[in-house]
Amino acid sequence: MIDMALAIPERRRQLAQAVSEKISIRGVRFYYGDKLAVRDLSMPFYDRQVTAIIGPSGCGKSTLLRVLNRIYDLYPSQRAEGEVLLDGVNVLAPAQDVIALRARVGMVFQKPMPFPLSIHENVAFGLRLHRRMPRSEIDDRVEAALRRAALWNEVRDKLSASGLSLSGGQQQRLCIARTVAIEPEVILLDEPCSALDPISTAKIEELISDLALDHAIALVTHNMQQAARVSDYTAFMYLGELIEFDRTEKIFTAPRDPRTRNYVTGRFG
Amino acid sequence: MRHGQIGDAAFQSLTFAATLALAVLFVALIVALVLGAAPAFRTFGLGFLIDQSWNPVTEKFGALAAVYGTLVASLIAMLIAVPLGLGIAFFLSELCPAALRSPIGIAIELLAGIPSIIYGIWGLFVLAPFLQAKVQPLLIALFADVPGLSLLFAGPPYGIGLLTAGIILAIMVLPFVASVSRDVFAAVPPLLKEAAYGVGATTWEVARNVLLPYARTGVMGAILLALGRALGETMAVTFVIGNAHRVSASLLAPGTTISATIANEFTEAVGDLYTSALIALSLILFVITFAMLAAARYLLLRLERRSAK
Amino acid sequence: MNLYRARRLRNAIASALAVGATAVGLCWLGMVLGILIWNGLGGLSLRLFVENTPPPGASGGLLNAIVGSTLLVLGAVALGTPLGMLAGTWMAEYGRYARLTPIMRFVNDILLSAPSIVVGLFVYEILVAPVGHFSGYAGVAALTLIVIPVVVRTTEDTLSLVPNELREAAASLGAPRDVLIRRLTYRAARAGLTTGVLLAVARVSGETAPLLFTALNNQFFSLNISGPLASLPAVIFKFALSPYKDWQALAWAGALLITGFVLTISIAARIWPRQRKPT
Repeated sequence: MIDMALAIPERRRQLAQAVSEKISIRGVRFYYGDKLAVRDLSMPFYDRQVTAIIGPSGCGKSTLLRVLNRIYDLYPSQRAEGEVLLDGVNVLAPAQDVIALRARVGMVFQKPMPFPLSIHENVAFGLRLHRRMPRSEIDDRVEAALRRAALWNEVRDKLSASGLSLSGGQQQRLCIARTVAIEPEVILLDEPCSALDPISTAKIEELISDLALDHAIALVTHNMQQAARVSDYTAFMYLGELIEFDRTEKIFTAPRDPRTRNYVTGRFG
Repeated sequence: MRHGQIGDAAFQSLTFAATLALAVLFVALIVALVLGAAPAFRTFGLGFLIDQSWNPVTEKFGALAAVYGTLVASLIAMLIAVPLGLGIAFFLSELCPAALRSPIGIAIELLAGIPSIIYGIWGLFVLAPFLQAKVQPLLIALFADVPGLSLLFAGPPYGIGLLTAGIILAIMVLPFVASVSRDVFAAVPPLLKEAAYGVGATTWEVARNVLLPYARTGVMGAILLALGRALGETMAVTFVIGNAHRVSASLLAPGTTISATIANEFTEAVGDLYTSALIALSLILFVITFAMLAAARYLLLRLERRSAK
Repeated sequence: MNLYRARRLRNAIASALAVGATAVGLCWLGMVLGILIWNGLGGLSLRLFVENTPPPGASGGLLNAIVGSTLLVLGAVALGTPLGMLAGTWMAEYGRYARLTPIMRFVNDILLSAPSIVVGLFVYEILVAPVGHFSGYAGVAALTLIVIPVVVRTTEDTLSLVPNELREAAASLGAPRDVLIRRLTYRAARAGLTTGVLLAVARVSGETAPLLFTALNNQFFSLNISGPLASLPAVIFKFALSPYKDWQALAWAGALLITGFVLTISIAARIWPRQRKPT
């Protein structure tokens, strides 16, 4: 069963060139106020690969994801120390232009949150932020993004309808379209399917595999089968620490650490 | 990307400036009141607060009658409005059939929407004559031989006076007590109520032992809010208070409140001391409502902290 | 009487009292509105909107008062809403975690519950006394000071209800804060913000006390806001206390007009946002 699921990423790896490190996390510590939530974490994220982050609730996996696009900046009591190198440049540095960072590192959240705008404007929102574009270019890129998110055929006739009028699975794909529209290099997905039904989940998992052809993907999930199905690399976290990081098939068939073994065999979590 | 940050900084500055303007407004208000009241306090000292005299001719002023009237009228209003308001909240949240809940709730809230001057003229033309003809003679006769209370309800029946003002204020603040209490009751977790009903408690027992303790904070906040409103109310009271600068034992006697005094006399006030005395009254009123609000906040904070443990 | 019966009895009494309280409240509403309609309806006619307030003993209309009130309310809302919204925005967005914000919330609550006559006195001291005469400007200023805290409160409350996930979703696309607020947060909070403005309009339309020493009143038609301006509440105040039957009739008619307007807006403020829920 697991071998079948691994066949797809396997093929993808064969197609890809040498695996390069898109993001390097070096000694990151994260604090909520005085509480240390992530301790001395170092790991790589490879370009054009899907890296899953798994672990029991509260282990810090979402926290880690949110460090990568500095979304925690919105909350004064949260802070991160250490280094996160995107193509060799530390994005945690105070001098880093956070807006420019977020144009390169996109994020999809657990709860589908379309903007209170039309479907077209939802996708165009990001496009309008970064530079002036003629209307025709915006329309083209909106269509391209919706196609990429496998949503175009379902919404092509109602682009001016409210984004909130879509079903849950469609809303999430809209959020994905919104994110890919600005052509980021990295896409972070924080439990994107946990609020969705199985059919929508399957559609989005297909999407993730497709997006991995030209983005670096980080996927936080509490669903181990999903991690096994979709990802090339897996990181197991526990109580704020990185316990093990390896190719997905290694983590699920022959994990080195006993804690990893206990988790992937369902003993806890 | 730098231009994005300039727009953000500009908007942030603009909104912050608006917030500062609000603070400046507040400070300016207090300063203006204090400066305006200063001559009166300088002339009369703190005795101003307990002096009953009010004589524009000899320029001798004292706040006692106005303060007394303000406090008594508001007290009467709360004594009437709080039980009624809680009763309405209890009715709407537990007893009322679902279909009627919304219309009755809106109807009660309409009481809050009616402008206060309407209550004033209603009080003058409808309530006062009614009280004078029917109710006040009854009250006077009823308590004539009761020691203590006979002083409280002594004649003659003017119709207008402290009691009338208190009743009008009660009608005005009733919706505040009722609506806020009802909202607070509605916020009680249904699980708590179901648990009580489940062991066979009657509706009243649930209200008394589950709703009220849980909603205590909110209800007290509602009461203080209503009290603040009653203390500062001007137009409704001006028409029916009688405008007599006297402290009388009887509730049926005419009196005055701070806001009614100001409303009636400010435009005719001649002389700086007279004007300053009126501004001093408004400062006292402001301080009273400020104290109310601070007490309400403090209470809320303490109760919240206790329940958080 | 055994315990069970005693409890049933207590419950019955309490319930009866609660129903009685509600009945009393509804009766009061009925009595006030009833008298208002009874006395005011007779005075309603087209003349109200065409003729100005008459001299004592004569009959006439309320045109100057209606126009004056309209100017005053529109002016107050036009000035107070932007200021209130901007301040509320800072408190809910930029200043959300700042130490100043709880202080400003308290300050705003004090201004919100400050007796309106005190506000009127304040404006008198700074805009009427130094200038030497009453004016529409002062009246607008007084009403603006009443509008601002209402708008600040509703803006802050409404914006705080907008889920943080929306802000994060926009921020993660690279949106700067001000774009996020203006294009998304305001949009998401549209219903609540409109309600706030409507509530402010309802509140100031009926206010009398702040106008007594600022705009005062004007028997004649005037569009000159640097002089005293007529307003419905001020006219009602003057006419109701007078001994002239015609004036009293006008006072009731004016009272009916104001009440009808205020209650309509209050009801609209509650119903309108629900109609506009996204499909």
